[in-house]
Amino acid sequence: MTLVILWLIQDLLTVFIGGGMQIPSLFMLGLVYRLLIDDSNDEGVNLWGIWSAFAGGILWDLRWIGIPGFFTLGYVVVVLAVIQVWGIIPPQGRSSGTSLIVFILMEISQLIPPLLPVLILGGSAGWRFFLMQQVYSLPAILFCIYIYNRKVRNRK
Amino acid sequence: MDNTRNTAREWVHGLTALILGLFLLGISSGMGVMKSIVDLWGGILSIPEYPAVILREMFIEWRSWSRDKNTLNDEVRRLRNENAKLRLDLAKFNSEKMYASSDSEIRTARVTLRAPMSWWSEIRIDRGEQDKITQGLPVFSNGYLIGRVSSVSLMSSWAELITSPSFMIPAVIEETRELGVVAGDGNGSVLLRYIPAGRGIKTGMKVSTAMIGEQVPPGLPIGQIAGEFSAGVDGYTTYRIEPGADMSKFYTVSY
Repeated sequence: MTLVILWLIQDLLTVFIGGGMQIPSLFMLGLVYRLLIDDSNDEGVNLWGIWSAFAGGILWDLRWIGIPGFFTLGYVVVVLAVIQVWGIIPPQGRSSGTSLIVFILMEISQLIPPLLPVLILGGSAGWRFFLMQQVYSLPAILFCIYIYNRKVRNRK
Repeated sequence: MDNTRNTAREWVHGLTALILGLFLLGISSGMGVMKSIVDLWGGILSIPEYPAVILREMFIEWRSWSRDKNTLNDEVRRLRNENAKLRLDLAKFNSEKMYASSDSEIRTARVTLRAPMSWWSEIRIDRGEQDKITQGLPVFSNGYLIGRVSSVSLMSSWAELITSPSFMIPAVIEETRELGVVAGDGNGSVLLRYIPAGRGIKTGMKVSTAMIGEQVPPGLPIGQIAGEFSAGVDGYTTYRIEPGADMSKFYTVSY
């Protein structure tokens, strides 16, 4: 449900801004955050993550790109990367000391999905939107790291 | 063992999702039905997106209104400045024109009558309509204002003196730029009325006509402050003026 709300907020903000790709991918931030804080080792969570990314990407493509596939691929690639990288770290070692890795994974979630359409479709405007989105994403990423650290501390 | 199986299953699901994504990307660009799906999805989303659309329109309107307002304010400010400048230019032009006409046409007139009954009120001079005398024209003696023409006939005119109680003319103290009204008292004294108290007015300060009024140009010397006459309870002080001209004896005047 949280992901649906985040997807909608991302969509409403994009409508308010007037189209383009400047809005940070809140949906992906929420999804990656959910995968990172899960310490249940339940395989179902990761599978849920993959297909949620797939669904969210398709819906985003249908709404803003017109051709399904661009964001779908980006979202799935990001989730796969997060699952693999995060799986290497044992659950006992996932503390506030892993903030840098969390930051990198969060940044990847903002970097890869909008990069694919820009690379494939090209255009200087696309690059400008992409760079702007990266700048706007930073505060959201930092906020996620902050609540991640707090969550990890509380868990201890 | 379980862990390896889990990882393998994640990969299978992940790769399936990727292949499906690539497949959709490959086939959808040429499919007409995709357009219908996009339109349908857009139509469904238009309901929750409605507030954002309204907000966006309001924001655009507000921004446009704000920009228009600033432009109009700038325009009004520019026009006000221009208007003030034009008013100043017009006043200067009128003033220079009046000075020029008075300088070029300074003439003298002889005092033909100063009746004892109205000694401090009026005089008659031997110039009239045929000499281009007009009502309100300032009259001087020794370069100082002594009155203005009150009535004109063909060959003579009457001038009301500044010592007359009914004579009133706006004046300014040159050193402080305080404005007041010069009026006579009918007994040979000239007073400067309606000066706010406590403005540091001192004896000897020069008084001249103010830039108010139509026929008498500003800056015509009248005399100087001779001292305080009375301080009213209303916060205004009346000063006595020593006229620059000798009001007791003048046989000729200029205009």
